[in-house]
Amino acid sequence: MLFKYLAVFIMVLLMFTGCTQLKPASVNSVNSILPVTDNVNLPDVIKTLLTKSDTQYFNDNFTGSLATLERAVRINPRHAEVWSRMAQVYLKLGNEEQAIQHAKRSNSVIKNNTQLKAFNNKIISPNLLNKSQEMSN
Amino acid sequence: MTKQKTRKKNAKKKKSNKTKRSFSLSMFLFNRYTFTGFIISALLFSGYLLHLNIKITEKMSGRIWSLPSHVYARPLELYQGKYLTIEQFKSELKQLGYTQLTNRPTKAGQYRILNNSHFEIISRDFTFWDGQQKSQGFRLSILNNEISILHKLYSDETLSIFRMEPVKIAGIYPSTKQERQLIKLDEVPDDLVLALLAVEDRRFYQHWGIDPRSILRAMLANFKAGGTVQGGSTITQQLVKNLFLSPERTLTRKINEALMALLLEINYSKSVILETYINEVYLGQNGAQQIHGFELASQYYFANSLRKLRRDQMAMLVGLVKGPSWYAPRRHPKRARDRRDQVLKLMHEQGALSQAQLNKYIKLDLAISNKPRFSANRFPALIDLVKRQLKRDYDEDDLKSSGLNVFTSIDPIIQSQAEASVKRVISQLENSHNSISDLQTSLIVASSQQGEIQAMVSDRKPDFPGFNRSLDAVRQIGSLIKPAIYLTALQQPQKYTLASLLDDSPLHIKTSKEQLWSPQNYDKKFTGDILLAEALKKSRNVPTVRLGLEVGLSDISDTLHNLGVKREIPTYPSMTLGAFNLSPFDVANMYQTFAANGFNVPLKVIREVLNKDGRPLKRYPLKSDKAIDEKAIYLVNHVLHEVTQTGTARSLAKALPQSLAGKTGTTDDLRDSWFAGFSDNQLAVAWIGRDDNSSTGLTGSSGALRLWTDLFRHLNIQSFSPGQPAGVNNRWIDVANGGLSEKNCQGTVELPFIQGSEPTEKAECKSAGIIDQIIHFFN
Repeated sequence: MLFKYLAVFIMVLLMFTGCTQLKPASVNSVNSILPVTDNVNLPDVIKTLLTKSDTQYFNDNFTGSLATLERAVRINPRHAEVWSRMAQVYLKLGNEEQAIQHAKRSNSVIKNNTQLKAFNNKIISPNLLNKSQEMSN
Repeated sequence: MTKQKTRKKNAKKKKSNKTKRSFSLSMFLFNRYTFTGFIISALLFSGYLLHLNIKITEKMSGRIWSLPSHVYARPLELYQGKYLTIEQFKSELKQLGYTQLTNRPTKAGQYRILNNSHFEIISRDFTFWDGQQKSQGFRLSILNNEISILHKLYSDETLSIFRMEPVKIAGIYPSTKQERQLIKLDEVPDDLVLALLAVEDRRFYQHWGIDPRSILRAMLANFKAGGTVQGGSTITQQLVKNLFLSPERTLTRKINEALMALLLEINYSKSVILETYINEVYLGQNGAQQIHGFELASQYYFANSLRKLRRDQMAMLVGLVKGPSWYAPRRHPKRARDRRDQVLKLMHEQGALSQAQLNKYIKLDLAISNKPRFSANRFPALIDLVKRQLKRDYDEDDLKSSGLNVFTSIDPIIQSQAEASVKRVISQLENSHNSISDLQTSLIVASSQQGEIQAMVSDRKPDFPGFNRSLDAVRQIGSLIKPAIYLTALQQPQKYTLASLLDDSPLHIKTSKEQLWSPQNYDKKFTGDILLAEALKKSRNVPTVRLGLEVGLSDISDTLHNLGVKREIPTYPSMTLGAFNLSPFDVANMYQTFAANGFNVPLKVIREVLNKDGRPLKRYPLKSDKAIDEKAIYLVNHVLHEVTQTGTARSLAKALPQSLAGKTGTTDDLRDSWFAGFSDNQLAVAWIGRDDNSSTGLTGSSGALRLWTDLFRHLNIQSFSPGQPAGVNNRWIDVANGGLSEKNCQGTVELPFIQGSEPTEKAECKSAGIIDQIIHFFN
């Protein structure tokens, strides 16, 4: 019986620890604001750069994140996900104008990713007062 | 008698007293003058010493050297599927100063090639904007001009991407043309210090700046030899001579040298003096650039960092101190080797090398790298652009002396293709007609979507550092203006569509000077009504002027500004035919917006700037501006693509398989020949003209287009295929009247329309012949 309680206690503890590790301190939840649903279709090189950019983003290194995304754009400027992430980083940097422009660029090369388009449109929308905050929540 | 004696005695005494008095007076006077003289001399000498001391401390406490800024090309990104030819990769490695081996590479900066397509490479450490990248061994295979395999060396672990360090392409130098790379004393290998002291100053840690023993030894040796064979100068004296004094051999300079050496030793520790010497010493010449310091010399001669040199290589560098020209290893390898061996023997005598090590090192070749890792400015036009863009954020002095590291988008592979195309095509054009001569040119290449300048040639001799035509030659642009006029019209879909009919009949316009202007078409003919799309495709002048006047000259001017043109645009009627001046760079800015589907990205060449220690200073991020409605620009781009299929640039359809878009431009009397065009990934503007603005005898098609085509044949280009924006629909249109038609009718063309602007009136359908139907089918 005691063993059972101990096992449950350890599991709960592990869950909490896991959650703490997954959730970065600086950003509430990046995954919720980067709906890259067709990630599987991206070439490995782009995926690698997106992963690196995400890590930089999680570490509050937004300029580094932007520089990595630019590398991805140089390799292939037709991936809407990359432009959309750039819009996201610009929002974090407080440059709303460039965030909107990059969201538009993402839309201009988007194919069938309606989720991504909806996300971009949120950034483009003039009605959002504090997009950065809203996107992060 | 006694009295007499007494008188004599007194007289003598008086005389003696008088002599005594006058001696004392003269002594007094002598001593006073001497003393005063001594005091004055001492004061003057002290003042002079103070002056020298101030000179020393001012220089040593401030920035001792002017460090040139270095300009880097783009780093080559390697990943599976990347277009890269074997020759291009070899060239990149060569420019990076990598050493090709036949055996396995073991050190950074080495590689070998197996079966002429598999590379084994060990890259070097490099500090990028986003941090340091450690040296990495990797294996790369190229198959059919694509990277097929990218693995870690001697491992099956795949690398999804690897960034090579960028090629250093230029330096922005101070007037002294001194090049150096600083190194701290604790980073200098002990062996180099040992060798240096053994050869140049064995008693460095014992003396006070000057070493009488060394001077005597040198004098003796010189006396024996009957000439100067040995110097007695200490390292401190040499440093003083290099930093503060002129090279002339006079007594005054020698005295100053000794005094300043003493002062230097009083003010600074031995470590500071040695470190300064190691960074200051002159060790060679690379064209106009002087090589100073051991770290830079190490990279110049061995394409490797000082820390990674073998002891025999360090010995060679130390041997160079005596005479960098006389012992220059690339020009005089035997002398350099003999000198190196002398240094190695001295190191052995000092106990720094065992006999076995000495024997081993003496047998080794010099192993000088093939090419310097850096070179003089090879791309003068591009570097001029870099400097101009940098001057917005840095002053001239900082650029020349702060040792900035400037990272750019310049692509040496594309640049060398552009240079080759210029040389080839200009020569072909001049050889084809006797009347064509003295042509000049500009060729600009940029990435279509990011607006990053990749290559630029501004002279028929690409490495000639003269007038930068790409930036400063403002010339009439002729028909290159037309897409801007049609774009202005098509942004009003309720009034204009690609199927609108324009009037191509004689036109007479009264100008402000009460003169009559009658524009002509290039073929001097009039076609009557013509579809708007056809008028642009065929570059008809008269309907364009009519359209321009209808939409308004100031609206056209606004469109040009929205497209990225920064200059003031005149608003007189002939501007509709491009009778105003832009530089090739302005034109590239304008067409970049077409290439990026309405997003204006001001052309830039600098990506990042780091300070001399590799700390990030400034980034120039990609910025876009949605300047033009994507639907309207899609319509114009549709026609610009047709220009390359059946229009004035139709030769492109035969020359290149990819889908492209562009526009030719020719000015009055064939003075200027232009072509601006783009693929999905590449934009280029070509201009050919003459500096005296006389006729070239070339149209846009027969001149600049040939240059553009030649370049694009040698680039990796992706077809221009913009996605059709939502809200744009295609319709079949009767070419004769602009009415709605059907695919199988005769004389029809498929055109895109902004939703709601499609023609509603139906045209009579004349059934197409069987041949037309077949053509339609295949289209």
